[in-house]
Amino acid sequence: MNKIRFKFKRTKELRLLSHLDQQRLFQRALRRGNLNVAYSQGFNPHPKIAFGLAMSVGLISDCEYGDVVLTDEISSELFKEKMNRVLPKGLSIIEAFQCEEGTSSLSASLLKSQYLIRVKLKRESTNQVLTRAINDYLDKPTILMDKRTKKGKMIQRDIRCFIEDIRLNDNKSENGIIEIEIDLKYIDQQCIKPELLLENFNESINDLLIIDPTIEIYRKNLILKK
Amino acid sequence: MNNYIEKNILPCVTKPITYLGNEVNAVHKTPDLDMIRFAFAFPDTYEVGMSHLGMKILYGLLNEQPNIWCERVFAPWIDMEEELRKHDLALYALESMDPINTFDFVGFTLQYEMSFSNIINMLELGKITKKTIDRKEDEPFVIAGGPCAYNPEPLSDFFDFFVIGEAEDVLLEIMDAYRLFKKANGKRQDFLKTIAAIEGIYVPSFYETNYDPDLGTITSFKPIESIAPAVIKKRFIEDMDKVYYPEKIVVSYIETVHDRVSYEIFRGCTRGCRFCQAGMIYRPMREKSVDTIQNGIRNIIDATGYDEVSLSSLSSGDYSQIEPLIHNLVDEYDDKKVGISLPSLRIDSVSIEMLEEIQKVRKAGLTFAPEAGTQRMRDVINKGVTEENLIDTVRTAFEKGWGHIKLYFMIGLPGETLEDIEGIARLGHKTVDTYYGVDKEIRDKNLKIVLSTASFVPKAFTPFQWIGQNTRETFKEKQNYLKSHIKDRKISYSWHDSGVSFLEAVFARGDRRLGEVLLKAQEKGCRFDGWGEHFQFEKWMEAFDEAGIDPNFYATRDRDYEEILPWDFINIGVTKEFLMNENEKAKDALLTQFCREKCANCGIMSFKEGWRCNE
Repeated sequence: MNKIRFKFKRTKELRLLSHLDQQRLFQRALRRGNLNVAYSQGFNPHPKIAFGLAMSVGLISDCEYGDVVLTDEISSELFKEKMNRVLPKGLSIIEAFQCEEGTSSLSASLLKSQYLIRVKLKRESTNQVLTRAINDYLDKPTILMDKRTKKGKMIQRDIRCFIEDIRLNDNKSENGIIEIEIDLKYIDQQCIKPELLLENFNESINDLLIIDPTIEIYRKNLILKK
Repeated sequence: MNNYIEKNILPCVTKPITYLGNEVNAVHKTPDLDMIRFAFAFPDTYEVGMSHLGMKILYGLLNEQPNIWCERVFAPWIDMEEELRKHDLALYALESMDPINTFDFVGFTLQYEMSFSNIINMLELGKITKKTIDRKEDEPFVIAGGPCAYNPEPLSDFFDFFVIGEAEDVLLEIMDAYRLFKKANGKRQDFLKTIAAIEGIYVPSFYETNYDPDLGTITSFKPIESIAPAVIKKRFIEDMDKVYYPEKIVVSYIETVHDRVSYEIFRGCTRGCRFCQAGMIYRPMREKSVDTIQNGIRNIIDATGYDEVSLSSLSSGDYSQIEPLIHNLVDEYDDKKVGISLPSLRIDSVSIEMLEEIQKVRKAGLTFAPEAGTQRMRDVINKGVTEENLIDTVRTAFEKGWGHIKLYFMIGLPGETLEDIEGIARLGHKTVDTYYGVDKEIRDKNLKIVLSTASFVPKAFTPFQWIGQNTRETFKEKQNYLKSHIKDRKISYSWHDSGVSFLEAVFARGDRRLGEVLLKAQEKGCRFDGWGEHFQFEKWMEAFDEAGIDPNFYATRDRDYEEILPWDFINIGVTKEFLMNENEKAKDALLTQFCREKCANCGIMSFKEGWRCNE
């Protein structure tokens, strides 16, 4: 068995794909590239492909990871080349490497993620006001947020621990649109979605931001444990 | 890519990726002045349209031509329609994202009557003048083809011309004619006159209909333009091994209704069921060779990466080489995890053993279509299947471990009695008994039988084209009668909305006067009539009322043989005498043999000189 870990990016052309559709896209691309994927055993075998993080509709990303198990002994370099030949514009593999025996799964390897968000302002404001609001937000010892459990019950959890930093990109803010950078960290494979965090922050500034489907979210980086 | 739409509109709608036209194998060209721009329009959603084989064939065929760019356009879903209207944007073709009113042609495929209101709505959204009579010189030619074009009359106000029959050859002839027309800088009328002379083309504005003032029936239908032929002959492809078939098929990102390679193995059908329009209009039966099919499938899978192939036709079990074909395919694809599926199977045509061979993973249940509940009724419709066939088949299925079986029937067939309705329930009970007769150890623990009935819609060019449909009340009574006769908890019953079937019957055998109704219904907001939740029966009835038209005239009225039918000017190869004769035989429940067993002289062999069936 030949397990390959690949790093890929998604650009504007395919940002509107759902995660499920993207998974299917990869499976078909592998078939077009004549790369034979290993299948799980059992009644309903499924191809052994896994992704580090789900990608929500609209997300542009410079850094995603996937693992695939192939039955062919091909080099990671050739894998990358073959895949990039068959992937549609909007998805491309940046790097691929063979996983050694015992490499931990992607979901267990997540360490940090970095985002850049472009969002419209509802009212005029200044950089100073926004920066102060961000600092006040970060100064809170706990930030409680509602979360629905798998059983459907609402509970409160503290999300402050997942936030490493929030910054305003003050030279990039214009025409009522601002750029915010968010650095998050994973604790026991858990984290907070940046859009939910932004909504929570928005409550603390009286809905100064317009959070609607046209908001632009970029995943700039995803850092795995060594 | 249009950035404004991508940024401001698509994030706000469901399934945004379906409005971008950037799928694998979607064709993008750089337009110039000589390029013919063709928008292939499917009047339903993306996921329905992307499952349609005809679109894939013609999209590939046109795009193989160097100076033609064929793009796709579907009926936008309700939320997308709202956004387009809100931003005052015209409906656009997916690949270039250019508005469809800037194209040379907008070509609709007419698959079912319940999509007609979507056509009018798409013209409005595309900012194209709806009625041909008002259309301006620089607007696209709005054209149509497909099965519903065999009775084009209800749509004749909206289409510049129709293609009757299979389009692979004639579409290229039209394109050649258009290229000359463009060079000559002619008027719309000139182009229409040129192509009216091409076999298989119907230009409705060149014909005139007169009606009996009292009865409302047609008294005459004739050409008013000298070039227009009095009879339009359908086109059909003679050699299925030589005809174009696409390989680089567009691969949808989202899951479509039939999310697999659909490979056509033959056209036409040898059976001759009397209710079935496809069985008549697509005659003669023409097969592809096993080699052609296998090579074609291999190339499509290489180009698309699909993991399932469906062998498509009107009755796939009737393919003369079905067993060798399936063995070859299973041999080739088993290791590669590519599945094979067979839709449209007759009870008597395919062995359950063969199904078992291809269906390694048992995902779904089996569906069979006895069509009617008693032998007499099955003979009336010339189905040919016996109760013994059915019981043997379901017994084998139960023995092989299937437990979920759906049986499909029609109600409202000509000459139907309550005994025939009860027969449906009885067949359900017998199926249950058959299950309990199978060894406990081998049968599936969960038995589920679904009886499903559709309300019969008489169609043009069938032996039942003269017959009035049951009224909605009668359908309701029959459904209730059937329900009251189902006495087993293992059997469930599902039925179709008779309102939809009623409307379908109106348009299936309608004439030109229905154009007014369509316009009014669309103005009232009717669209997606085939989508239960959007069907507005009351609005349709208002539209009929305002247009002064009684829908029962079209749906529930019996016609006599002398009446001029709105589609009589089309020659499908099967003669009217044959259809009458079949209708007469139906009254006596007499069978007609299948074409392969004995030629019934339907007319197709004299339709095209030198054509021989079964050779």
